[in-house]
Amino acid sequence: MAEPPKLRVLMVSDFFFPNFGGVENHIYYLSQCLLKLGHKVVVMTHAYGNRSGVRYMTGGLKVYYVPWRPFVMQTTFPTVYGTLPIVRTILRREKITVVHGHQAFSTLCHEALMHARTMGYKVVFTDHSLYGFADVGSIHMNKVLQFSLADIDQAICVSHTSKENTVLRSGLSPAKVFMIPNAVDTAMFKPASVRPSTDVITIVVISRLVYRKGADLLVEVIPKVCRLYPNVRFVVGGDGPKHVRLEEMREKHSLQDRVEMLGAVPHSRVRSVLITGHVFLNSSLTEAFCIAILEAASCGLLTVSTRVGGVPEACNVLPDDMVVLAEPDPDDMVRAIEKAISILPSINPEEMHNRMKKLYSWQDVAKRTEIVYDRALKCSNRNLLERLSRYLSCGAWAGKLFCMVMIVDYLLWRLLQLLQPDEDIEEAPDIFLHHHGEKIN
Amino acid sequence: MDKNFAGDSNPRPKWRKVAYGGMQIGYDDNYTDESFLEEMVMNANVVRRNLLKVMKDSVSISQYLCIVALVVLVWVHTLESSLDENSLLVLDLSLLASGFLILLLTEEKMLSLSLLLRYLLNISFFTTGLYILAPIYQTLTRSISSDSIWAVTVSLLLLHLFLHDYSGSTIKAPGALKHPNLTSCISLNASVVASVFVASRLPSRLHVFAVMLFSLQVFLFAPLVTYCIKKFSFGLHLLFSFALMGLTLYSVYALHKLFFLVFLFLVLLVNVVCPYWLIKMQEYKFEINGPWDEAKLCFDITD
Repeated sequence: MAEPPKLRVLMVSDFFFPNFGGVENHIYYLSQCLLKLGHKVVVMTHAYGNRSGVRYMTGGLKVYYVPWRPFVMQTTFPTVYGTLPIVRTILRREKITVVHGHQAFSTLCHEALMHARTMGYKVVFTDHSLYGFADVGSIHMNKVLQFSLADIDQAICVSHTSKENTVLRSGLSPAKVFMIPNAVDTAMFKPASVRPSTDVITIVVISRLVYRKGADLLVEVIPKVCRLYPNVRFVVGGDGPKHVRLEEMREKHSLQDRVEMLGAVPHSRVRSVLITGHVFLNSSLTEAFCIAILEAASCGLLTVSTRVGGVPEACNVLPDDMVVLAEPDPDDMVRAIEKAISILPSINPEEMHNRMKKLYSWQDVAKRTEIVYDRALKCSNRNLLERLSRYLSCGAWAGKLFCMVMIVDYLLWRLLQLLQPDEDIEEAPDIFLHHHGEKIN
Repeated sequence: MDKNFAGDSNPRPKWRKVAYGGMQIGYDDNYTDESFLEEMVMNANVVRRNLLKVMKDSVSISQYLCIVALVVLVWVHTLESSLDENSLLVLDLSLLASGFLILLLTEEKMLSLSLLLRYLLNISFFTTGLYILAPIYQTLTRSISSDSIWAVTVSLLLLHLFLHDYSGSTIKAPGALKHPNLTSCISLNASVVASVFVASRLPSRLHVFAVMLFSLQVFLFAPLVTYCIKKFSFGLHLLFSFALMGLTLYSVYALHKLFFLVFLFLVLLVNVVCPYWLIKMQEYKFEINGPWDEAKLCFDITD
């Protein structure tokens, strides 16, 4: 006889499968590990193309693809109160206790957190990216974040740099912010059974070819390295606006046989591309937490990366053992690649993979997240007036505006309760899939 | 053996700022070290401003305001027929000559004879073209009512003042490095269109030619002349600006008392109140830099 789940978590974000990325992976793996620990997890996201309605994924993970259209960069159109009815229905149906929102850029997440707070649920937020303070877009985003996090129970950040950034942007107290890093699925990212020969050293790059991910640095670095080392070749996977510049660079230096452009690589094929290489190159200009480096290290590749954002924290295992860091400057990166090539013979991929298994695992992340949920549940319940005082401190004009928004939200909620009482919402039965002693890494 | 005092069996290891290895023993995940935010840098690139310097720099703005006010005064006098076309032509020629003289004196590169001859040739082409096209301007807005003309002129002049490049000159002086940007080109065009609208209200062809020449001379070349004066000597620039301000205030006073008060208020606002306000607001400046910033590329991206 299965016991009722200990926690009932709703993950909310605009970013989920079939979209691929760091946030999507994080939500999926975290949900799977929480399901294995015996909790109930439901995911809420917006509809992707024709994929709308309720779907079930591995392990009984229920996903609500809410029929809202995305409008720019996969985020839903912000209609402050539009999502209140559907969020209320989902929370009542699944008897949710904790709502966990992901990614500051996701409007669905902010709206759901706001509605959940109005209805008295406990709320946790995870921030996955670093943002600046100076440009107009960032200023507005930070104000929205300040509103969202004014009344939150707990927050999670994926690196210490990200924690500092989030605390500065939102004005949260640092004691409320937990640092839980991402992890990597070491079962999927295994090194090749036969290591490729080191006569020709292959450097792999897999990233979106955009300015933010340092595609311009690649354009400078690749010709220099190819000139210095005749036995080095590059494999570049990924697509984006800077694709054209890389093609031009190939033609200008006649590197067609030494630089292979693969185009967009689907996530399932990433491992097969990685194991053809010896070195992984990451040239991004800003990174809260780079999962790509962990995936490469798990496949036994030596990594060369730029020293930005949260990368130094994630990778300082032993000096220059698994990762060689460089400043985001072409000459320094060439020097780092030279160093990586020189220490390549002493690298043992299997040993690297085993070490990664111990350092990062999704089960560990899930257990630490569980602790955060327990802390959130222990936070005291506040009524509307106490919560409004928290919003007032957000700013001279903004504070009063936020209070008005929350008051209207509260009134709309009461109206909905009048029109469709809580008891009338049908509760969904819990599904239990039994796993007998099965472990995933 | 009983140990009466229980010492710490395992003092907890030092907390490290790393992400790997799971939870650190003895520390919660929300533990905040003293090294929290220690790499944050505040106000690293902020320029501290001095009140006197800001006031001196604001003189350029009020100087240009005076020039525009003088142009509007000449328009008003011409439209009221208190200034006839011959005196206007004399004014044009004297302005042209004095502008040239100032450029010659302040700009060393102008002294070469071939450059001078080339400029003279360009100006004679320009003047001839304007004279030939004057009849077109005269009948341009005959079907439009006067009220619309005045409204459009005023709004175009306001647009011109807002978007004007007060620190440089849209017409490049020989040797100037700054390229004109979009807003300064828009402002120049707005002022030219405004002068065309005003000129189209005048009775005779000579009137139209004289006013157009005057307006275009001032709008196109006055920024260049003032830029050269400023570059040559700052004291001369201040003297010139104050003289101009005095002339403008006297002329506006002679025209209408209310406009005089408004203009005086505007000049005081630009020269005294705004610099003080800017300095007062500096204390709220809070620029944050840290390890989370996007790295800046040290090379230029050439496509």
